[in-house]
Amino acid sequence: MRAYLERAKEHDEFMKKQQFEYNIGKRHLANMMGEDPETFTQKDVDRAIEYLFPSGIYDPAARPLMKPPEEVFPARKAAEFDEAGRPHHYLFYTGKPNFFKLLYDAAENIQLLQQFEDKVIRKKATPDPNGKLDLNATFWLTKDQLEQLLVEKLTDLEYDNFKLVMERLVSLPYSYRCKDFIEKFRKSLTSQKFALEIPKPSYDDQGRAFVTTYECLRKKARGDVTIRSPGTGLITINGKDLTYFEDTQSREQVIFPLIFTGLENKVDVECNIEGGGPSGQAGAIRWGIAWGLRSFVDKDMLEAMQVAGLLTRDHRRRERKKPGQPGARKKPTWKRR
Amino acid sequence: MRNLTNKIIFFNRCQSQLSRCAFNSTAKTTQTRFYSRPTSFPDYYQNPIFRKEDQAKLIENNDLSKLATTPFRPPASYETSSVYHDPIVNKVINHVMEDGKKQLARSLVEKAFENVKRIQIERYHLATTPEEKSKIILSPKDILHRAIENSKPLLQLSPIKRGGITYQVPGPITEKRSLFLAIKWLLEAANDKDRTVHFPEQFAWELLDAANNTGKVVKRKQDLHRQCEANRAYAHYRWQ
Repeated sequence: MRAYLERAKEHDEFMKKQQFEYNIGKRHLANMMGEDPETFTQKDVDRAIEYLFPSGIYDPAARPLMKPPEEVFPARKAAEFDEAGRPHHYLFYTGKPNFFKLLYDAAENIQLLQQFEDKVIRKKATPDPNGKLDLNATFWLTKDQLEQLLVEKLTDLEYDNFKLVMERLVSLPYSYRCKDFIEKFRKSLTSQKFALEIPKPSYDDQGRAFVTTYECLRKKARGDVTIRSPGTGLITINGKDLTYFEDTQSREQVIFPLIFTGLENKVDVECNIEGGGPSGQAGAIRWGIAWGLRSFVDKDMLEAMQVAGLLTRDHRRRERKKPGQPGARKKPTWKRR
Repeated sequence: MRNLTNKIIFFNRCQSQLSRCAFNSTAKTTQTRFYSRPTSFPDYYQNPIFRKEDQAKLIENNDLSKLATTPFRPPASYETSSVYHDPIVNKVINHVMEDGKKQLARSLVEKAFENVKRIQIERYHLATTPEEKSKIILSPKDILHRAIENSKPLLQLSPIKRGGITYQVPGPITEKRSLFLAIKWLLEAANDKDRTVHFPEQFAWELLDAANNTGKVVKRKQDLHRQCEANRAYAHYRWQ
């Protein structure tokens, strides 16, 4: 008890000191950057640090940073027991009371829903079709987010259990009855990216509409794609036609969005591409064409393209090799001695 | 000059402060690493639905606009919505492939298809009556589908050790493994040939045989079924 109070006091003092140091550091930074220290925000701090301490370190977590101490030092729980040393929470001795409370609540909700379902069946009623939960645009909190919410460290297994229980709860026919409980642990996605800012096509001197997509990236390839409408299905890649690619697979990839939208004979495509291999270049052009075609198709087709994954940028890159092992994931052959 | 030195000292002080802050943070924040360039998609990304018939199904059920709010992975570099794309053919190409030489594997399978087509067209022209002609399948893709369907085993033997003796215990087989075995057997039969015969030729013959429910592969499947039947007495070891 006394030890706890001492530790809490120590922590408070430490935080106060850190806060003080942070404020002073912020003022110094503002002076160095020649700006007003009073209106210097965290965003300006990040910018200043990036400017004054440029770093090319691969791992962003290892680069220099200056964040407010509340973000750097994880939040600690307040006292969980009374003067006599008796814990407030009934699950205190599990070690992770908030997490297990969450599991208990979920299980209880499942039982309640099942009882409710039994009741409805006995009355011979049917479930309300409008009450269904719409979970399409949201997803479960990630492990880090859940840890922050619960102020407890979780293992991977515990996080999996959380997901399992919640999925079970959601799968029940009357899950809309505990909507509030479920939505506490779901995070909404950012709104539909593909529908935002569809560029209006410009017109060239022949009166044909055209849209240019810059920065078409895939693997190490980059380039730009111009789509002209109306056209006759002419494809130009770096001054050549589709035979720029020698293998069939890459050619198929380039015409994939055109075939999908049914515009293969109605638009002309022109692209400049460099870097990477045939597969990466074809992937970059595929994305560029799909992205540019947004200006020439209707809303239904736009949705179909999104569901087909054509509008998703493939941002995956080659994973780096790690020291002490022969590849990115591959480990040396195990030897007894 | 003095002004400059002052500034430098000032700067040093700031830097020490900053670095202390930075060191604290790296020590205290979690050790989980994330890469500046992700190498995979998060698990809430769904698999894309890009084939024409699957899309038509979605439109029929009016699920399209509901689904469009969720993120989707991009289709892989070998997948297209073209009518020529077939997942099973792609699977076979991947099984034929060695050392990542996909272009070569694809050309071999296509050559085999060409051979199948040639043989079937020859048969078609040799047939005299219209009934005989209508029985001959000309599409190599159909032949492949039929061949794989005919060589898929329904049961498998798994070794289970009981009392120091290993029994071959028959049991059900998953759809995926049965497909895998069918393709593996077809390719093993095709590779079991003279050196003078080319792979596409032999593979074409194996496909035609299997599609006709005859040949090495179908015999192998029947052998396995016979063995499973013979080992019926051990079946209880699966759960005891």
